Amino acid sequence: MGPVERALDLLAKGCVGVAGTGLVVLVAIFGWLVWGRYVMNDTPTWVEQVALLLVVWITFLGGAAGVWTQSHLSIEFIREMLPSVLRVPLHWMALAGMLVFGIVLFWQGWTLAQSLWPRRVPMLGVTEGLRAVPMAICGALTAVFTLYQAVALATAKT
Amino acid sequence: MGLALLFGLFFFGLLTGMPVAFALGLATVGGFLYEGLPLFIGFQRVLSGISVFSLLAIPFFIFAGELMMQGGIAGRLVRLASYAVGWMRGGLGIVNVASSMLFGGISGSAVADTSALGSILMPVMKEKGYDPDYAVNVTVTSSVAGVVIPPSHNMILFAVAAGGVSVSKLFIAGIVPGVLMCLCLGLVAYVVAVKRGYPAETFPGFKSLAISTIVALPGLMTAVIIVGGVLSGVMTVTESGAFGAIWAILVTVFVYRELTWEKFRAAVVTSVRTTALVMLLVATASAFSYLLTLYRVPDLLATAVTGISDNPIVILLLLNLVLLGLGMIMDMAALILITTPIFLPVVVGLGMDPIQFGVILMMNLGLGLCTPPVGACLFVGCVVGGVRIDQAVRTIWPFYLAIFGALMLVTYVPAFSMTLPGLME
Amino acid sequence: ETWRTWAIHPEGYPNVTALESFAEDVATATEGRIEPQVYPGGVLGAQPDAIEQLRAGAIAVGNFNMGPMGEIVPATNVLSLPFIFRDVDHMHAAMDGEIGQRFSDALSEAGIVALSWMDSGSRSFYNTKKPIMTPADMDGLKFRVMSNDLYVQMVDSLGGNATPMAYGEVYQSLKTGVIDGAENNYPSFESSNHYEVAKYYSITNHLIIPECICVAKSVWDDTSPEDQELVREAAIAAAEEQRQLWAERSDASRAQVSEAGVEINEVEDPMAFQTAMEPVYAKFIEANPDLEQLIRDIQAVE
Ligand code: NA
Ligand code: NA
Repeated sequence: MGPVERALDLLAKGCVGVAGTGLVVLVAIFGWLVWGRYVMNDTPTWVEQVALLLVVWITFLGGAAGVWTQSHLSIEFIREMLPSVLRVPLHWMALAGMLVFGIVLFWQGWTLAQSLWPRRVPMLGVTEGLRAVPMAICGALTAVFTLYQAVALATAKT
Repeated sequence: MGLALLFGLFFFGLLTGMPVAFALGLATVGGFLYEGLPLFIGFQRVLSGISVFSLLAIPFFIFAGELMMQGGIAGRLVRLASYAVGWMRGGLGIVNVASSMLFGGISGSAVADTSALGSILMPVMKEKGYDPDYAVNVTVTSSVAGVVIPPSHNMILFAVAAGGVSVSKLFIAGIVPGVLMCLCLGLVAYVVAVKRGYPAETFPGFKSLAISTIVALPGLMTAVIIVGGVLSGVMTVTESGAFGAIWAILVTVFVYRELTWEKFRAAVVTSVRTTALVMLLVATASAFSYLLTLYRVPDLLATAVTGISDNPIVILLLLNLVLLGLGMIMDMAALILITTPIFLPVVVGLGMDPIQFGVILMMNLGLGLCTPPVGACLFVGCVVGGVRIDQAVRTIWPFYLAIFGALMLVTYVPAFSMTLPGLME
Repeated sequence: ETWRTWAIHPEGYPNVTALESFAEDVATATEGRIEPQVYPGGVLGAQPDAIEQLRAGAIAVGNFNMGPMGEIVPATNVLSLPFIFRDVDHMHAAMDGEIGQRFSDALSEAGIVALSWMDSGSRSFYNTKKPIMTPADMDGLKFRVMSNDLYVQMVDSLGGNATPMAYGEVYQSLKTGVIDGAENNYPSFESSNHYEVAKYYSITNHLIIPECICVAKSVWDDTSPEDQELVREAAIAAAEEQRQLWAERSDASRAQVSEAGVEINEVEDPMAFQTAMEPVYAKFIEANPDLEQLIRDIQAVE
């Protein structure tokens, strides 16, 4: 494993780490909600909104890591059945598509975060922009991971 | 033209082997650029598609399922199940269907059911010599029971979209069709199992059965908490999902003492991966659906259907086929909201009760969850089962037929859905 | 030119029926230069998303409720204050006059042109336990509210236990006792089927929140003054039709839930509920001192 690959691998693991912590927190705050509602008869009103925020972070950080580990759902069987004269360009196009989408996701996530920034999440008071930030992160990481995979593919061929 | 571009881009993306979620996203970007719409609106849909409260149940069920698997609950449950009905040919297939009726009937989410039950049952089925594709097929198709048997979030969605349909009647109406569907699936699971020569284990005796029951009891409580929490009304579905996960941690740490820190971490990591896969798909699919709505796709199809025939039997069949087609490529919740106002007047004009149509819609769009190219349950089932989608789909058709057969019965014989609600009056 | 028109309500709802008349009127009056196309049922997204879409010009017309508008146009939070209007007539008098113009100006700064004001009825509490006569009857009961600090403070100040919850979860939560009650107007109480499980509806009329027919400012500025006038006339006519239809629908819903066995009661002392809101108002004015005059002016409208 070269230094670049190791760094990117660490980055992907970091994403899973943060998302995993988010998942555990998600379960814990719902435990707190149930406790508050039934035992204390005082519903913590922030749980719903925090949970919705957490899910977005888990989705996009986990999604970015999925690009690195190539664990997203895809239908590769058609491409793999084709002769290499078609298969190889299609594979390149898939990588190009991922790269483009990653860049657009980053750009749009960033734009959205900026436009949402002045708004407050109801019941929490934190900025709505936090909802869009993970989307930008996911886009940037998707682009970086895909770029590395493209470089690896190119160098493997020669 | 824009519509052709949208689908062209999507299918081309799939052909290149891009992840489905990204192919949907990229096609949507193309569609927005073509229409000259601001791109950020598409990404706003991506974001709000997953900012939905009822979706929170998904990570919880996935996590609870993973914990049950890592911490030894699943193994004990399945031993009990296989002692109880394993003596039948393809016993685990039938256990799978039966537990879906119970588990998914309570979860209300077919996707959550697939991931929770699939992560428990599929590894054991494979261990017992069942082919992975069979395990995926049974798990995925039986999870549709989750949307048909009450309670079901999707039914509430339908009641709201239909404007003034009684939710409690709708809930009751779903029971018989849901059970009917599971009977059909159980039969198919049995026949296929016999054909493939899956093992029928010897009955180990009542003493072993009793012991395995007692051993499995604390683990079984996880299901009881999730099921009972909702049915008794102590908790909402989302809360009971979280509580089920907490209970699973407690039992596996303190009772079974199998959940080490390493296994806990593994459960968290796998849950994050599965959750992210599903939710990212929901996210980009809702942006894609936005464009389909703008193009008024359901409208176009409804007009086409009523233009073809005025024979009720033919129209109902056509409507079912249109819904099946839409269900293959679109998200269930969005489809309920979009198609209900358009199709409901048509079927009511044919003399059908809105309640019956609601049940038909659930079964029909539920089947769409199991079909490619966009089938959330199929995707999740394949991820959990470690099977490629094309492998699973190659052998799934008898299971599709079972659901479709039940769907036809419910469509043409109102008694299946309308008898129980009729008793309420 | 096609004007995409957003509505959260399903087809057949008074708002959607009125918007369809609006679409027809506009198309006829402008001789097809403008053709509004109604997308009911929130198929293009929930309101906060739809507002952003309108501001970006992706949709041209929206039927927005002023409740969730507060996140974008803070002045409209005043309309979410409990008991800000004495009754629906008071709301009409205020919104159709100079007060309404002030809200229009505030919306306009955010790129939203309000043409006319519709009704969303008046909201009251309903629950599964008992008739609410005095604030003391709400003690310890769990009421679902929309996610908004004002509504949480409102229920807490009345002695209840405010529980923000997604709308789709309410029916089951009522049925199973996760919550004891919620609050809404008659048509929603009826169409959501909550009346099947919550058998007590107590008329508190605590929230009377107007809705607008709004046009995107970017679209509006591209429209000729003659067409603007025609569109505005159609919007005002549609709002009148909606108010009429809403009143009829509200009566029909009341009759239907009453027939289904729901016990509807007037509260004993409406003033007691309003007095309980003093800390809510005090806190709101403390946080938004610039809006105090607007509140006083609304209350002064006859
Ligand atoms: Na199953
Ligand atoms: Na199921």
